[in-house]
Amino acid sequence: MAEAAGEAAAEAVRRSEPADAALALEGVSSGYGAVSIVKGVSLSVAAGEIVALLGKNGMGKTTLLKTILGMVALRGGAITVGGQALAGLSPARLVALGVGYAPQEQPLFQDLSIRDNLRLAVPSDRMLPEALERLFGHFPFLKDRLAQRAGTLSGGEQKMLILGRALMLRPRLLLIDEISEGVQPSMVERLRGVLDAERAAGVSMLVVEQHVAFALALADRYAVLKLGEIVDSGPAGAPDAQARVIGHLAV
Amino acid sequence: MLLTLDILTTAAILFIVSIGLLAIFGVLKIINFAHGAWLTVGAYCAVVTAKLGLNPWLALPLAFAVGAALGGLAEHFIIRPLYRRPLDAILATWGLGIVVGQLITLAFGRDVQLTPNLLAGTVEILGVDYSAYRLVALGIALAIGTLFALTIERTRLGLSARAVIMNETLARSLGIDTGRVRLVVFMIGAGFAALAGVLLTPLTSVDPNMGVAWLIGAFMLVMVADASYLALAAACLVFGAAQVLISTFVSPILGSIAIAVLAALVLRISPKGFSRA
Repeated sequence: MAEAAGEAAAEAVRRSEPADAALALEGVSSGYGAVSIVKGVSLSVAAGEIVALLGKNGMGKTTLLKTILGMVALRGGAITVGGQALAGLSPARLVALGVGYAPQEQPLFQDLSIRDNLRLAVPSDRMLPEALERLFGHFPFLKDRLAQRAGTLSGGEQKMLILGRALMLRPRLLLIDEISEGVQPSMVERLRGVLDAERAAGVSMLVVEQHVAFALALADRYAVLKLGEIVDSGPAGAPDAQARVIGHLAV
Repeated sequence: MLLTLDILTTAAILFIVSIGLLAIFGVLKIINFAHGAWLTVGAYCAVVTAKLGLNPWLALPLAFAVGAALGGLAEHFIIRPLYRRPLDAILATWGLGIVVGQLITLAFGRDVQLTPNLLAGTVEILGVDYSAYRLVALGIALAIGTLFALTIERTRLGLSARAVIMNETLARSLGIDTGRVRLVVFMIGAGFAALAGVLLTPLTSVDPNMGVAWLIGAFMLVMVADASYLALAAACLVFGAAQVLISTFVSPILGSIAIAVLAALVLRISPKGFSRA
Protein backbone atom coordinates (compact mmCIF):
# COMPACT_ATOMS: atom_id res chain seq x y z
CA MET A 1 0.00 0.00 0.00
CA ALA A 2 2.71 2.40 1.08
CA GLU A 3 4.66 1.24 -1.93
CA ALA A 4 1.80 2.13 -4.27
CA ALA A 5 1.47 5.55 -2.68
CA GLY A 6 5.18 6.05 -3.09
CA GLU A 7 4.95 5.10 -6.73
CA ALA A 8 2.08 7.49 -7.27
CA ALA A 9 4.06 10.29 -5.64
CA ALA A 10 7.10 9.46 -7.76
CA GLU A 11 4.89 9.45 -10.83
CA ALA A 12 3.50 12.87 -9.90
CA VAL A 13 7.01 14.25 -9.48
CA ARG A 14 8.04 12.76 -12.81
CA ARG A 15 5.00 14.25 -14.50
CA SER A 16 5.69 17.74 -13.23
CA GLU A 17 9.33 17.42 -14.10
CA PRO A 18 11.44 16.97 -17.20
CA ALA A 19 9.34 14.60 -19.29
CA ASP A 20 6.54 17.12 -19.73
CA ALA A 21 8.59 20.29 -19.56
CA ALA A 22 8.96 22.50 -22.61
CA LEU A 23 12.69 22.22 -22.04
CA ALA A 24 14.51 19.91 -19.66
CA LEU A 25 18.24 19.66 -19.06
CA GLU A 26 19.61 16.84 -16.93
CA GLY A 27 23.25 16.91 -15.92
CA VAL A 28 24.24 18.66 -19.15
CA SER A 29 27.98 19.05 -19.81
CA SER A 30 29.69 20.55 -22.83
CA GLY A 31 32.72 22.55 -23.92
CA TYR A 32 35.22 23.29 -26.64
CA GLY A 33 38.28 21.13 -27.29
CA ALA A 34 39.88 20.15 -24.01
CA VAL A 35 38.00 22.84 -22.08
CA SER A 36 34.83 22.01 -20.14
CA ILE A 37 32.51 25.00 -19.99
CA VAL A 38 29.13 23.68 -18.89
CA LYS A 39 29.37 21.22 -16.01
CA GLY A 40 26.37 19.12 -15.08
CA VAL A 41 23.57 21.64 -15.45
CA SER A 42 20.02 20.53 -14.64
CA LEU A 43 17.24 22.94 -15.44
CA SER A 44 13.69 22.86 -16.72
CA VAL A 45 11.32 25.34 -18.29
CA ALA A 46 7.59 24.58 -18.07
CA ALA A 47 5.08 25.42 -20.79
CA GLY A 48 4.40 29.16 -20.80
CA GLU A 49 7.18 29.82 -18.33
CA ILE A 50 10.13 32.22 -18.61
CA VAL A 51 13.33 31.20 -16.88
CA ALA A 52 16.14 33.75 -16.66
CA LEU A 53 19.68 32.42 -16.77
CA LEU A 54 21.99 34.94 -15.15
CA GLY A 55 25.72 35.12 -14.65
CA LYS A 56 28.80 37.11 -15.44
CA ASN A 57 30.58 36.99 -18.79
CA GLY A 58 32.37 33.75 -19.51
CA MET A 59 30.32 31.64 -17.08
CA GLY A 60 28.93 29.41 -19.83
CA LYS A 61 25.50 30.93 -20.49
CA THR A 62 25.85 31.24 -24.26
CA THR A 63 27.62 27.88 -24.46
CA LEU A 64 24.66 26.32 -22.67
CA LEU A 65 22.24 27.79 -25.23
CA LYS A 66 24.46 26.58 -28.06
CA THR A 67 24.56 23.12 -26.50
CA ILE A 68 20.75 23.00 -26.48
CA LEU A 69 20.82 24.00 -30.14
CA GLY A 70 23.34 21.30 -30.99
CA MET A 71 25.95 23.84 -32.06
CA VAL A 72 28.27 22.75 -29.26
CA ALA A 73 28.55 18.98 -28.75
CA LEU A 74 26.79 17.54 -25.72
CA ARG A 75 29.36 15.67 -23.62
CA GLY A 76 27.13 14.40 -20.87
CA GLY A 77 23.55 14.44 -19.65
CA ALA A 78 20.35 14.78 -21.64
CA ILE A 79 18.32 17.55 -23.22
CA THR A 80 14.65 17.13 -24.11
CA VAL A 81 12.21 19.53 -25.72
CA GLY A 82 8.56 18.63 -25.12
CA GLY A 83 9.75 15.15 -24.13
CA GLN A 84 11.82 14.61 -27.29
CA ALA A 85 15.55 14.00 -26.84
CA LEU A 86 17.64 16.48 -28.80
CA ALA A 87 20.98 14.69 -29.02
CA GLY A 88 22.15 14.56 -32.60
CA LEU A 89 19.29 16.63 -34.05
CA SER A 90 20.24 19.24 -36.63
CA PRO A 91 19.28 22.89 -36.12
CA ALA A 92 16.84 22.45 -39.02
CA ARG A 93 15.05 19.71 -37.06
CA LEU A 94 14.99 21.94 -33.99
CA VAL A 95 13.32 24.71 -35.97
CA ALA A 96 10.74 22.16 -37.09
CA LEU A 97 10.26 21.10 -33.45
CA GLY A 98 9.36 24.69 -32.57
CA VAL A 99 12.61 25.96 -31.11
CA GLY A 100 13.38 29.62 -31.82
CA TYR A 101 16.73 31.27 -31.14
CA ALA A 102 17.68 34.91 -30.76
CA PRO A 103 21.50 34.91 -30.72
CA GLN A 104 23.75 37.58 -29.29
CA GLU A 105 27.01 37.16 -31.20
CA GLN A 106 26.86 38.21 -34.88
CA PRO A 107 23.11 37.68 -34.93
CA LEU A 108 22.38 39.19 -38.38
CA PHE A 109 23.76 39.10 -41.89
CA GLN A 110 24.76 42.76 -41.81
CA ASP A 111 25.27 43.09 -45.56
CA LEU A 112 22.01 41.42 -46.54
CA SER A 113 18.65 43.15 -46.71
CA ILE A 114 16.19 42.75 -43.86
CA ARG A 115 14.01 40.69 -46.19
CA ASP A 116 16.87 38.30 -47.04
CA ASN A 117 17.74 37.99 -43.35
CA LEU A 118 14.15 36.92 -42.70
CA ARG A 119 13.98 34.65 -45.78
CA LEU A 120 16.94 32.73 -44.42
CA ALA A 121 15.03 32.00 -41.22
CA VAL A 122 12.06 30.29 -42.90
CA PRO A 123 12.40 26.80 -44.39
CA SER A 124 10.79 27.83 -47.69
CA ASP A 125 9.84 31.07 -49.42
CA ARG A 126 6.21 29.96 -49.42
CA MET A 127 6.12 30.37 -45.64
CA LEU A 128 7.50 33.90 -45.77
CA PRO A 129 4.32 36.01 -46.24
CA GLU A 130 2.60 34.51 -43.21
CA ALA A 131 5.78 34.75 -41.14
CA LEU A 132 6.20 38.41 -42.13
CA GLU A 133 2.63 39.22 -41.10
CA ARG A 134 3.38 37.80 -37.70
CA LEU A 135 6.61 39.80 -37.50
CA PHE A 136 4.86 43.07 -38.44
CA GLY A 137 2.29 42.35 -35.73
CA HIS A 138 5.11 42.71 -33.19
CA PHE A 139 7.30 45.27 -34.95
CA PRO A 140 5.33 47.25 -37.56
CA PHE A 141 8.25 49.60 -38.30
CA LEU A 142 9.99 46.79 -40.23
CA LYS A 143 7.22 46.68 -42.83
CA ASP A 144 8.53 49.61 -44.87
CA ARG A 145 12.16 48.75 -44.42
CA LEU A 146 12.47 45.24 -45.85
CA ALA A 147 14.82 46.36 -48.62
CA GLN A 148 17.16 48.13 -46.20
CA ARG A 149 20.46 46.51 -45.25
CA ALA A 150 20.20 44.93 -41.80
CA GLY A 151 23.49 46.53 -40.76
CA THR A 152 22.00 50.01 -41.15
CA LEU A 153 19.41 49.47 -38.39
CA SER A 154 20.13 51.01 -34.98
CA GLY A 155 21.24 48.68 -32.19
CA GLY A 156 17.76 48.54 -30.66
CA GLU A 157 16.09 48.01 -34.04
CA GLN A 158 18.49 45.14 -34.74
CA LYS A 159 17.47 43.52 -31.45
CA MET A 160 13.83 43.80 -32.51
CA LEU A 161 14.63 42.21 -35.84
CA ILE A 162 16.48 39.38 -34.09
CA LEU A 163 13.60 38.76 -31.70
CA GLY A 164 10.98 39.15 -34.43
CA ARG A 165 12.85 36.68 -36.63
CA ALA A 166 12.89 34.12 -33.81
CA LEU A 167 9.12 34.58 -33.31
CA MET A 168 8.15 34.42 -36.99
CA LEU A 169 7.67 30.66 -37.10
CA ARG A 170 5.52 30.48 -33.93
CA PRO A 171 8.08 28.70 -31.75
CA ARG A 172 6.97 26.82 -28.65
CA LEU A 173 10.31 27.35 -26.99
CA LEU A 174 12.42 30.44 -27.37
CA LEU A 175 16.10 30.67 -26.45
CA ILE A 176 17.15 34.30 -26.08
CA ASP A 177 20.70 35.54 -25.58
CA GLU A 178 21.08 39.02 -24.03
CA ILE A 179 18.29 40.72 -25.92
CA SER A 180 18.48 43.85 -23.72
CA GLU A 181 22.21 44.39 -24.15
CA GLY A 182 23.04 47.91 -25.33
CA VAL A 183 19.38 48.81 -25.85
CA GLN A 184 17.91 52.05 -24.55
CA PRO A 185 15.27 51.71 -21.77
CA SER A 186 12.23 52.60 -23.90
CA MET A 187 13.14 49.88 -26.40
CA VAL A 188 13.80 47.38 -23.61
CA GLU A 189 10.22 48.00 -22.47
CA ARG A 190 8.96 47.30 -25.99
CA LEU A 191 10.92 44.05 -26.15
CA ARG A 192 9.52 43.09 -22.77
CA GLY A 193 5.97 43.81 -23.94
CA VAL A 194 6.44 41.41 -26.84
CA LEU A 195 7.95 38.71 -24.63
CA ASP A 196 5.10 39.05 -22.09
CA ALA A 197 2.55 38.68 -24.88
CA GLU A 198 4.29 35.56 -26.20
CA ARG A 199 4.38 34.00 -22.74
CA ALA A 200 0.67 34.70 -22.38
CA ALA A 201 0.23 32.79 -25.64
CA GLY A 202 1.97 29.80 -24.07
CA VAL A 203 5.52 30.19 -25.38
CA SER A 204 8.26 28.97 -23.02
CA MET A 205 11.54 30.85 -22.82
CA LEU A 206 15.03 30.46 -21.52
CA VAL A 207 16.42 33.98 -21.34
CA VAL A 208 20.13 34.58 -20.86
CA GLU A 209 20.69 38.03 -19.36
CA GLN A 210 23.14 40.28 -17.59
CA HIS A 211 20.56 43.02 -17.00
CA VAL A 212 19.35 41.71 -13.62
CA ALA A 213 16.37 44.04 -13.05
CA PHE A 214 15.01 43.41 -16.56
CA ALA A 215 15.50 39.65 -16.26
CA LEU A 216 13.84 39.30 -12.85
CA ALA A 217 10.92 41.54 -13.84
CA LEU A 218 10.35 39.44 -16.95
CA ALA A 219 10.99 35.92 -15.68
CA ASP A 220 9.02 33.52 -13.52
CA ARG A 221 12.13 31.84 -12.19
CA TYR A 222 15.84 32.51 -12.28
CA ALA A 223 19.02 30.46 -12.18
CA VAL A 224 22.57 31.73 -11.71
CA LEU A 225 25.39 30.11 -13.66
CA LYS A 226 28.90 30.34 -12.25
CA LEU A 227 31.85 28.62 -13.91
CA GLY A 228 29.47 26.30 -15.74
CA GLU A 229 27.41 25.24 -12.73
CA ILE A 230 24.09 26.45 -11.38
CA VAL A 231 24.85 27.96 -7.98
CA ASP A 232 21.47 29.48 -7.16
CA SER A 233 17.90 29.41 -8.41
CA GLY A 234 14.45 30.41 -7.23
CA PRO A 235 11.30 32.35 -8.05
CA ALA A 236 12.10 35.62 -9.80
CA GLY A 237 9.47 37.41 -7.74
CA ALA A 238 11.01 36.48 -4.35
CA PRO A 239 11.78 39.59 -2.27
CA ASP A 240 15.45 38.66 -1.92
CA ALA A 241 15.95 37.47 -5.52
CA GLN A 242 17.63 40.63 -6.79
CA ALA A 243 19.99 40.90 -3.81
CA ARG A 244 20.96 37.24 -4.13
CA VAL A 245 21.62 37.45 -7.85
CA ILE A 246 23.64 40.63 -7.54
CA GLY A 247 25.63 38.96 -4.75
CA HIS A 248 26.55 36.16 -7.18
CA LEU A 249 27.43 38.59 -9.92
CA ALA A 250 29.72 40.70 -7.72
CA VAL A 251 33.41 40.02 -8.17
CA MET B 1 41.48 46.43 -81.96
CA LEU B 2 43.14 43.05 -82.10
CA LEU B 3 44.68 43.77 -78.73
CA THR B 4 41.29 44.68 -77.22
CA LEU B 5 39.77 41.45 -78.50
CA ASP B 6 42.75 39.47 -77.21
CA ILE B 7 42.37 41.04 -73.80
CA LEU B 8 38.61 40.47 -73.64
CA THR B 9 38.79 36.87 -74.78
CA THR B 10 41.76 36.08 -72.52
CA ALA B 11 39.83 37.54 -69.57
CA ALA B 12 36.82 35.46 -70.62
CA ILE B 13 38.84 32.24 -70.65
CA LEU B 14 40.41 33.05 -67.28
CA PHE B 15 36.93 33.70 -65.88
CA ILE B 16 35.57 30.41 -67.21
CA VAL B 17 38.51 28.54 -65.70
CA SER B 18 38.34 30.22 -62.26
CA ILE B 19 34.62 30.58 -61.51
CA GLY B 20 34.21 27.02 -60.22
CA LEU B 21 37.21 27.41 -57.94
CA LEU B 22 35.80 30.70 -56.63
CA ALA B 23 32.41 29.16 -55.79
CA ILE B 24 34.04 26.35 -53.81
CA PHE B 25 36.48 28.69 -52.07
CA GLY B 26 33.69 31.08 -51.08
CA VAL B 27 31.37 28.55 -49.52
CA LEU B 28 33.68 25.78 -48.33
CA LYS B 29 36.58 28.07 -47.43
CA ILE B 30 39.05 25.64 -48.92
CA ILE B 31 41.13 25.94 -52.05
CA ASN B 32 40.19 22.94 -54.12
CA PHE B 33 43.52 21.81 -55.56
CA ALA B 34 41.67 19.10 -57.45
CA HIS B 35 40.33 21.92 -59.64
CA GLY B 36 42.99 21.21 -62.27
CA ALA B 37 41.95 17.56 -62.27
CA TRP B 38 38.29 18.47 -62.93
CA LEU B 39 39.47 20.64 -65.83
CA THR B 40 41.39 17.67 -67.21
CA VAL B 41 38.41 15.36 -66.72
CA GLY B 42 36.30 17.82 -68.71
CA ALA B 43 38.83 17.94 -71.52
CA TYR B 44 38.86 14.14 -71.67
CA CYS B 45 35.07 14.22 -71.92
CA ALA B 46 35.72 16.06 -75.19
CA VAL B 47 38.16 13.29 -76.18
CA VAL B 48 35.57 10.61 -75.41
CA THR B 49 32.82 12.48 -77.24
CA ALA B 50 35.10 12.67 -80.29
CA LYS B 51 35.99 8.96 -80.10
CA LEU B 52 32.31 8.11 -80.00
CA GLY B 53 31.81 10.23 -83.07
CA LEU B 54 29.31 12.54 -81.34
CA ASN B 55 28.78 16.24 -81.89
CA PRO B 56 31.72 17.91 -80.11
CA TRP B 57 29.41 20.41 -78.36
CA LEU B 58 27.79 17.47 -76.54
CA ALA B 59 30.99 17.33 -74.52
CA LEU B 60 29.82 20.43 -72.61
CA PRO B 61 26.75 18.95 -70.84
CA LEU B 62 28.58 15.62 -70.50
CA ALA B 63 31.54 17.29 -68.81
CA PHE B 64 29.32 19.31 -66.48
CA ALA B 65 27.44 16.17 -65.45
CA VAL B 66 30.60 14.08 -64.98
CA GLY B 67 32.37 16.90 -63.11
CA ALA B 68 29.38 17.50 -60.83
CA ALA B 69 28.98 13.77 -60.12
CA LEU B 70 32.68 13.27 -59.34
CA GLY B 71 32.66 16.48 -57.31
CA GLY B 72 29.68 15.25 -55.32
CA LEU B 73 31.44 11.96 -54.54
CA ALA B 74 34.67 13.77 -53.61
CA GLU B 75 32.83 16.18 -51.30
CA HIS B 76 30.89 13.41 -49.60
CA PHE B 77 33.67 10.89 -49.09
CA ILE B 78 36.85 12.99 -48.90
CA ILE B 79 36.18 16.64 -48.05
CA ARG B 80 33.25 16.34 -45.66
CA PRO B 81 35.06 14.30 -42.99
CA LEU B 82 37.79 16.99 -43.02
CA TYR B 83 35.68 20.13 -42.58
CA ARG B 84 37.09 20.77 -39.14
CA ARG B 85 40.64 20.39 -40.51
CA PRO B 86 40.76 22.79 -43.47
CA LEU B 87 44.49 22.34 -44.07
CA ASP B 88 44.06 18.58 -44.31
CA ALA B 89 41.09 19.13 -46.59
CA ILE B 90 43.25 21.21 -48.93
CA LEU B 91 45.96 18.53 -48.89
CA ALA B 92 43.31 15.91 -49.59
CA THR B 93 42.13 17.81 -52.69
CA TRP B 94 45.73 17.98 -53.86
CA GLY B 95 46.11 14.22 -53.42
CA LEU B 96 42.80 13.68 -55.15
CA GLY B 97 44.04 15.76 -58.08
CA ILE B 98 47.12 13.51 -58.39
CA VAL B 99 45.02 10.34 -58.22
CA VAL B 100 42.61 11.61 -60.89
CA GLY B 101 45.56 12.56 -63.12
CA GLN B 102 47.04 9.06 -62.73
CA LEU B 103 43.70 7.39 -63.44
CA ILE B 104 43.39 9.43 -66.62
CA THR B 105 46.93 8.38 -67.59
CA LEU B 106 45.99 4.73 -66.95
CA ALA B 107 42.92 4.99 -69.13
CA PHE B 108 44.19 7.18 -71.95
CA GLY B 109 47.98 7.09 -71.76
CA ARG B 110 50.43 9.94 -71.36
CA ASP B 111 50.17 11.23 -74.91
CA VAL B 112 48.62 14.44 -76.05
CA GLN B 113 45.10 13.79 -77.29
CA LEU B 114 43.55 15.41 -80.30
CA THR B 115 40.07 16.83 -80.08
CA PRO B 116 37.92 18.17 -82.87
CA ASN B 117 37.58 21.93 -83.08
CA LEU B 118 34.40 23.14 -81.47
CA LEU B 119 34.31 25.96 -83.99
CA ALA B 120 36.83 26.63 -86.75
CA GLY B 121 37.63 29.69 -88.80
CA THR B 122 37.57 33.41 -88.27
CA VAL B 123 34.99 36.12 -88.47
CA GLU B 124 35.46 39.73 -89.37
CA ILE B 125 34.66 41.97 -86.48
CA LEU B 126 35.29 45.73 -86.41
CA GLY B 127 37.70 45.51 -89.30
CA VAL B 128 39.84 42.59 -88.13
CA ASP B 129 39.64 38.88 -88.77
CA TYR B 130 39.36 37.18 -85.43
CA SER B 131 39.09 33.61 -84.19
CA ALA B 132 35.42 32.72 -84.16
CA TYR B 133 35.99 30.33 -81.30
CA ARG B 134 37.56 32.94 -79.02
CA LEU B 135 34.56 35.17 -79.63
CA VAL B 136 32.21 32.33 -78.76
CA ALA B 137 34.27 31.73 -75.61
CA LEU B 138 33.70 35.37 -74.72
CA GLY B 139 29.95 34.89 -75.16
CA ILE B 140 30.03 31.72 -73.08
CA ALA B 141 31.92 33.52 -70.30
CA LEU B 142 29.28 36.25 -70.27
CA ALA B 143 26.54 33.62 -70.21
CA ILE B 144 28.20 31.72 -67.35
CA GLY B 145 28.78 34.95 -65.46
CA THR B 146 25.13 35.96 -65.90
CA LEU B 147 23.87 32.53 -64.89
CA PHE B 148 26.15 32.58 -61.87
CA ALA B 149 25.02 36.09 -60.87
CA LEU B 150 21.34 35.17 -61.23
CA THR B 151 21.83 32.04 -59.15
CA ILE B 152 23.67 33.93 -56.43
CA GLU B 153 21.40 36.99 -56.34
CA ARG B 154 17.98 35.58 -57.17
CA THR B 155 17.66 31.99 -55.97
CA ARG B 156 17.27 30.55 -52.53
CA LEU B 157 20.35 28.37 -53.07
CA GLY B 158 22.31 31.54 -53.90
CA LEU B 159 21.02 33.29 -50.81
CA SER B 160 21.88 30.28 -48.64
CA ALA B 161 25.34 30.14 -50.21
CA ARG B 162 25.90 33.84 -49.48
CA ALA B 163 24.69 33.27 -45.92
CA VAL B 164 27.19 30.43 -45.48
CA ILE B 165 29.96 32.63 -46.91
CA MET B 166 29.12 35.53 -44.59
CA ASN B 167 28.42 33.70 -41.36
CA GLU B 168 28.15 29.94 -41.39
CA THR B 169 27.40 29.62 -37.67
CA LEU B 170 24.40 31.92 -37.94
CA ALA B 171 23.22 30.21 -41.12
CA ARG B 172 23.30 26.84 -39.38
CA SER B 173 21.55 28.12 -36.26
CA LEU B 174 18.71 29.42 -38.44
CA GLY B 175 18.12 25.89 -39.69
CA ILE B 176 19.89 26.13 -43.04
CA ASP B 177 21.28 22.74 -44.06
CA THR B 178 24.82 24.01 -44.53
CA GLY B 179 26.08 20.52 -45.39
CA ARG B 180 23.73 20.39 -48.36
CA VAL B 181 24.74 23.89 -49.47
CA ARG B 182 28.40 22.82 -49.39
CA LEU B 183 27.68 19.64 -51.36
CA VAL B 184 25.65 21.41 -54.05
CA VAL B 185 28.19 24.23 -54.38
CA PHE B 186 31.05 21.74 -54.64
CA MET B 187 29.18 19.88 -57.36
CA ILE B 188 28.48 23.09 -59.27
CA GLY B 189 32.10 24.23 -58.87
CA ALA B 190 33.47 20.91 -60.13
CA GLY B 191 30.91 20.89 -62.94
CA PHE B 192 32.00 24.36 -64.08
CA ALA B 193 35.64 23.30 -63.90
CA ALA B 194 34.97 20.32 -66.16
CA LEU B 195 32.97 22.55 -68.50
CA ALA B 196 35.97 24.88 -68.65
CA GLY B 197 38.12 21.88 -69.54
CA VAL B 198 36.04 21.25 -72.66
CA LEU B 199 36.14 24.93 -73.62
CA LEU B 200 39.95 24.90 -73.32
CA THR B 201 40.41 22.01 -75.77
CA PRO B 202 40.62 24.21 -78.91
CA LEU B 203 43.20 26.45 -77.22
CA THR B 204 45.54 24.05 -75.49
CA SER B 205 46.80 20.51 -75.80
CA VAL B 206 44.94 17.80 -73.92
CA ASP B 207 47.14 15.64 -71.70
CA PRO B 208 46.81 14.25 -68.16
CA ASN B 209 48.66 17.21 -66.62
CA MET B 210 47.02 20.02 -68.57
CA GLY B 211 45.04 21.20 -65.56
CA VAL B 212 48.06 22.11 -63.43
CA ALA B 213 49.07 25.28 -65.27
CA TRP B 214 45.49 26.53 -65.35
CA LEU B 215 45.06 25.69 -61.67
CA ILE B 216 47.87 28.06 -60.68
CA GLY B 217 46.38 30.97 -62.61
CA ALA B 218 42.88 30.28 -61.31
CA PHE B 219 44.23 30.00 -57.77
CA MET B 220 45.93 33.41 -58.02
CA LEU B 221 42.81 35.03 -59.45
CA VAL B 222 40.60 33.61 -56.70
CA MET B 223 43.05 34.76 -54.02
CA VAL B 224 42.79 38.27 -55.41
CA ALA B 225 39.00 38.10 -55.83
CA ASP B 226 38.35 36.68 -52.33
CA ALA B 227 34.80 35.34 -52.60
CA SER B 228 33.28 37.91 -54.95
CA TYR B 229 32.44 36.96 -58.53
CA LEU B 230 32.39 40.62 -59.58
CA ALA B 231 35.90 41.04 -58.17
CA LEU B 232 36.85 37.87 -60.05
CA ALA B 233 35.58 39.36 -63.32
CA ALA B 234 37.56 42.55 -62.63
CA ALA B 235 40.68 40.56 -61.74
CA CYS B 236 40.36 38.50 -64.94
CA LEU B 237 40.14 41.69 -67.01
CA VAL B 238 43.09 43.40 -65.34
CA PHE B 239 45.36 40.35 -65.21
CA GLY B 240 44.24 39.15 -68.63
CA ALA B 241 45.13 42.57 -70.01
CA ALA B 242 48.51 42.46 -68.30
CA GLN B 243 49.19 39.00 -69.65
CA VAL B 244 48.27 39.99 -73.22
CA LEU B 245 50.18 43.28 -73.15
CA ILE B 246 53.34 41.78 -71.63
CA SER B 247 53.21 38.82 -74.02
CA THR B 248 52.74 41.13 -77.00
CA PHE B 249 55.20 43.89 -76.18
CA VAL B 250 57.77 42.31 -73.89
CA SER B 251 58.00 38.57 -74.04
CA PRO B 252 55.50 35.69 -74.14
CA ILE B 253 57.46 33.95 -71.36
CA LEU B 254 57.10 36.90 -69.03
CA GLY B 255 53.46 37.16 -70.07
CA SER B 256 52.82 33.63 -68.87
CA ILE B 257 54.00 34.47 -65.35
CA ALA B 258 52.32 37.89 -65.29
CA ILE B 259 49.26 36.68 -63.41
CA ALA B 260 51.22 35.03 -60.62
CA VAL B 261 53.54 37.99 -60.14
CA LEU B 262 50.77 40.57 -60.28
CA ALA B 263 48.57 38.61 -57.88
CA ALA B 264 51.42 38.43 -55.38
CA LEU B 265 51.93 42.20 -55.72
CA VAL B 266 48.22 43.01 -55.31
CA LEU B 267 47.93 40.82 -52.23
CA ARG B 268 51.07 42.40 -50.78
CA ILE B 269 49.47 45.86 -51.08
CA SER B 270 45.87 44.93 -50.25
CA PRO B 271 45.39 41.58 -48.48
CA LYS B 272 41.70 41.57 -49.45
CA GLY B 273 42.64 41.88 -53.10
CA PHE B 274 40.01 43.28 -55.45
CA SER B 275 37.01 42.42 -53.32
CA ARG B 276 37.19 45.63 -51.29
CA ALA B 277 38.22 47.87 -54.13
